[in-house]
Amino acid sequence: MYRAQPMSDDLDQQLAALVGQPIGDTGPTYAPDPVNQPMIRHWAAAFEDANPIHVDAQLAAESRFGEIVAPPLMLQTWTMATPKITGIGERGGSPVEGGRAKVLTLLDEAGYLGTLASNSEFEIVRYLKLGDEVSATTVLESVSPLKQTRLGQGYFVTWVTTYTVGAETVGLQRFRILKFKSGSAS
Amino acid sequence: MKLPRTINPATLQVGDALPEWAIDINATRIVAGAIATRDFMPVHHDKEYANTQGAPDVFMNILSDTAYTSRYLTDWAGPNAMVRKVAIRLGVPVFPGHTLTYTGEISALEVSDSETSVEITLRAMNELGEHVGGTATISLPNESAL
Repeated sequence: MYRAQPMSDDLDQQLAALVGQPIGDTGPTYAPDPVNQPMIRHWAAAFEDANPIHVDAQLAAESRFGEIVAPPLMLQTWTMATPKITGIGERGGSPVEGGRAKVLTLLDEAGYLGTLASNSEFEIVRYLKLGDEVSATTVLESVSPLKQTRLGQGYFVTWVTTYTVGAETVGLQRFRILKFKSGSAS
Repeated sequence: MKLPRTINPATLQVGDALPEWAIDINATRIVAGAIATRDFMPVHHDKEYANTQGAPDVFMNILSDTAYTSRYLTDWAGPNAMVRKVAIRLGVPVFPGHTLTYTGEISALEVSDSETSVEITLRAMNELGEHVGGTATISLPNESAL
């Protein structure tokens, strides 16, 4: 929600300036590997998802999909960064060095250090097939006005990631977090 | 093996309940889910690290939440169901020893020529309260169109 009324202070202005901007300066994130059967099989095993369209070529061919397709909610997994395990704890769990979103740095520096994931929404345009090469672009969609929550005062920050294969949009993800200042609850 | 059956959308009505589904969560499930979704954050596999972050144990990652949510839908609807939308709010965490119980109800149906869009309002509860809640939409092929 891009607010029409004038911004009250400097932080709000800096946050508003980031709305609509891509999250990183490096362009789209490319999946390190095409959509592939080994990662799908691993995923299906981890969640004990027995849906044959993900792992059984013959049964998948009989389904409406006509061939093996990736689990739809695996969408986000394809473009996850290959982690640098060394130092991951010291980086607060961040899989790679650097690349922290400007909006988060800004809120951290303003004292809104707490982070709580709030909402995750997926829209699936089509299921991914083996060999699809996925890329993802994440844009800061909105920053709420300062809110009083039960955890303290904070801002809801919403990103939208568009997943594409070539020029085709295959899915969207909207993710919302609360960045809050502990101990500021009323 | 034969392709398991997919629900005929003509048999569905708004207000129908989905079968309840309960899954016992242990550390193995949490770690397996985190790694299969390529989420290596230590809070999802290292208890001592989770303790330093104020959590009593490792806890389930969000990509596992959406994975189990989609499994709940397609286990019920069958292999020809296509998950179109999942929109969940994230509530209390899931720790080892918890049982996660999904319930759902059909909240809207929209029939087109070849398929029916089914909106399901769902939630997953554990010992601490609501873990996830929200809506999902799947599309089912109309049997008359097959």
